[in-house]
Amino acid sequence: MTRAAPTTLRPTTPAEVRDAVLDVPGRLAISGAGTARHWAGRPDAVDATLDLSALSGVITHNPGDMTVSVHAGTPLADLQAELAGHGQRLALDAARAGRGATVGGLVATADAGPSALIYGGMRDLVIGTTSVLADGTMVRSGGHVIKNVAGYDMAKLLHGSYGTFGPLVEVVLRLHPVAKATACVAVDGPVDDAAERVLALMASPLEPIAVEWLSGDPGRLLVRLEGGTSTLPARVRRLVELLGDGAREVGPDAWDEHAALTTGEPGRAAGVGGAAGAAGRDAVVRIGCAPRSLAPLLGRLPATAVTAGLATGVATVTVHDASVTDVHDAVAAAGGTSVLRDRPADLDAPAWGAAPSALPLLTAIKNQLDPEARFAPGRFAPWM
Amino acid sequence: MPLAAPIRDEFVALLGERDVLSDPVRTRTYECDGLTGSRVVPELVLLPRTADDVAGCVRVCARHRIPFVARGAGTGLSGGALPVADGVVIGLNRLNRVLEVDPENRRAVLEPGVTNLEITAAAAPHGLYYAPDPSSQQVCTIGGNVAENSGGAHCLKYGFTTNHVLSLEVVLPDGSVVTLGSDSAEQSGPDLRGVFLGSEGTLGIVTKITVRLLRTPEVMRTLLADFPSVAAGGQVVSDIVAAGIVPAAVEMMDALAIEAAEGATGAGYSLDTPAALVVELDGTVEECEEQFAQVKEICDRHGCTRLHVAGSPEERANIWRGRKAAFAAVGRISPDYIVQDGVVPRTRLSEVLERIEAMGTEAGLRVANVFHAGDGNLHPLVLFSAADGETERAERLSAGIAELCVEMGGSLSGEHGIGTDKACSMPAMFGVDDLAVMDRVRAGFDPDHICNPGKLLPTPRLCGEKPGRYRPHPLEEAGLIERL
Ligand SMILES: Cc1cc2nc3c(=O)[nH]c(=O)nc-3n(C[C@H](O)[C@H](O)[C@H](O)COP(=O)(O)OP(=O)(O)OC[C@H]3O[C@@H](n4cnc5c(N)ncnc54)[C@H](O)[C@@H]3O)c2cc1C
Repeated sequence: MTRAAPTTLRPTTPAEVRDAVLDVPGRLAISGAGTARHWAGRPDAVDATLDLSALSGVITHNPGDMTVSVHAGTPLADLQAELAGHGQRLALDAARAGRGATVGGLVATADAGPSALIYGGMRDLVIGTTSVLADGTMVRSGGHVIKNVAGYDMAKLLHGSYGTFGPLVEVVLRLHPVAKATACVAVDGPVDDAAERVLALMASPLEPIAVEWLSGDPGRLLVRLEGGTSTLPARVRRLVELLGDGAREVGPDAWDEHAALTTGEPGRAAGVGGAAGAAGRDAVVRIGCAPRSLAPLLGRLPATAVTAGLATGVATVTVHDASVTDVHDAVAAAGGTSVLRDRPADLDAPAWGAAPSALPLLTAIKNQLDPEARFAPGRFAPWM
Repeated sequence: MPLAAPIRDEFVALLGERDVLSDPVRTRTYECDGLTGSRVVPELVLLPRTADDVAGCVRVCARHRIPFVARGAGTGLSGGALPVADGVVIGLNRLNRVLEVDPENRRAVLEPGVTNLEITAAAAPHGLYYAPDPSSQQVCTIGGNVAENSGGAHCLKYGFTTNHVLSLEVVLPDGSVVTLGSDSAEQSGPDLRGVFLGSEGTLGIVTKITVRLLRTPEVMRTLLADFPSVAAGGQVVSDIVAAGIVPAAVEMMDALAIEAAEGATGAGYSLDTPAALVVELDGTVEECEEQFAQVKEICDRHGCTRLHVAGSPEERANIWRGRKAAFAAVGRISPDYIVQDGVVPRTRLSEVLERIEAMGTEAGLRVANVFHAGDGNLHPLVLFSAADGETERAERLSAGIAELCVEMGGSLSGEHGIGTDKACSMPAMFGVDDLAVMDRVRAGFDPDHICNPGKLLPTPRLCGEKPGRYRPHPLEEAGLIERL
């Protein structure tokens, strides 16, 4: 069945989501706040879009247990504001949260920020999910306790799924206390120099929360520490000493630059090779590899801007749109993974790097859960 | 129906006569795991030495639709490695090499038969360690840890096996070999690595594991504190958490568990206290010292009757020895016992313990409690005497406790898994639809239902049957490993 114009449905309850899936025949796109609309494979034409942004709000927050369940369309920033009143937070600092990204969207896109170094990503923070399958089945897995090995961990299947198995409607999260004090130390230098400093840092007992190198002239390494109000200054001193010449404490707004770089706005930063990005024809690629392979790999990429987790191996690079294939190839050669994020709407570049060996398995699971391929068609093109 | 001789020949052609066991005297060694009440002697036991041979064995199984069960050290407590009738067991112990320790990337690459403790031993010269630390760590394998998503006393702060595995090489039930996960947390698509973690050997056999290693903390501070009641101890845990402190470990024992553990180890626990807490903090000198002072203050505030701070690594080891011996030591105060593994939201600890006590009284049985108080993972030990005909009552009480945990918003299992032991309780925690979808995911991996069938999800056949009573694991009896 085809329709002249795709419909947009805005369910406000999990039951309405299920009804929408059952009532609307054909293929469905799923969106939250729409902040990752242009990430991964471009969605094929669909019969309707399920907009989950109205399925929002905290369902239960158990401060004593440090868990919260939320509707999937809840903006993370709103959730953080609510949790902060209890001295708690979701320990996820994906820059996209600042643009309104929803909890469900962050899970589905496997997004994470620099503090994944210590706290992990959504795959480590989600303890339960409810989602709706193509046949209208509401499926729940996990629960409300942090420690739980009963049954398959379906939340993991939804992590990075880009909606291909169906919409998440409820997410249960484990929380962390808000740090009493946070500090940031910066030291300027090119990426290779930063990588050597990070090697020493990670061998030290200083327990950095986030370690990110930002491109520029000559580039800058940012290191975040968390701790107690009275104890942190001593650790900051140790960190400054360890990082050596030029290291100094900077304000928290140093991270704004990182956030800008994740969205492909390199205008604020000079490129790695000194080249400035041509606005409007840039593409952003998210890459991952072994941490020590990252700096050399970045040196081989035609990037105009970079923010790189030198201790996690995860980086977000901006390139001219014609270079996307080259990035996929270079990352694959380094044994890494890559996926296209923000790019010009009309860009015809491959979204994913080489297909993983588990592709037949992924396809088999897709056939089990969504045999008519109703959900999010195109997101894993050309693989699936 | 026994396996036909030509099939045995196919395995022999692959592995050689020596590594295909069919003599019942030898295959009987594999008849159970740590859930010793359930036993099935396997038709054949295959002992491959390489990942290629594992794949070869699985391909033969796939071709003839022969069910297979992967086995590590056999310390599992839920019957996950219980052989299936007319099937083969594939033992992974001979794939036991540490393939690589990479200190700069802080990771290690392992074959599945490497024991948990060997990982840390290999990492230690670089100032690194592998965080998840099940009490069985001297013998249990990383392959088994992956399959069970095993935890340990220190997983409150550091997480479970799933949080420490980067990638897996897996032989799927059709014999094909895939990599799940990657060299970083970025992956190409859904987290199939995470789906495999904790799948209890039902989705394939893992033949290579890449784990993250952590830097050894600068300092560790451990205390043992006595309290006038379990409730007071529970309140201390709540206040520690409310103060924004995430301890490395918080463990609680009640009087019965202390009596057993102290009798077995002489580790220095007080015999006259209703409850004792072990709290451990680690991290940088600055943070650790400040938080340790706060923890001591919280203990005092809740009527702590004795506070012993480990003054040396030996004293710390001693405190842990007492705690970890508690399971096996219960054998000193009761002829038989069943260990339970439910989880409740931490704030409901006192309530659940009261209910468990009442249930025990009603059943006329004693229950000793040892638990990971920080994350609400209980290990109630139901004490009974089989000789006095108490077995069935004890089993009913134990299953009732697990289902009570679910009723209180928790889980059937925090770390020991579902296996055959709790498969029939799964409907207490999940709806029919939830279980059906899990089965569909399983079919995506294993369309022919040959990979550890009858485990994890309830089947009419299994749930009609009655498992036997718990007996101590042979390695436990030999004093080689200890329970929690
Ligand atoms: C005394 C004692 C104390 C314990 N303490 C703890 C504890 O503190 N925390 C905890 O979490 N657990 C604990 N356990 C339980 C047990 O040790 C763990 O579940 C452990 O991970 C099992 O490892 P194993 O090598 O013995 O696996 P096995 O018992 O051999 O197998 C367990 C499951 O894993 C599967 N499996 C094994 N190897 C593979 C492979 N290579 N690929 C795919 N599947 C595989 C099997 O099919 C089975 O389903 C304890 C057990 C005992 C006896």
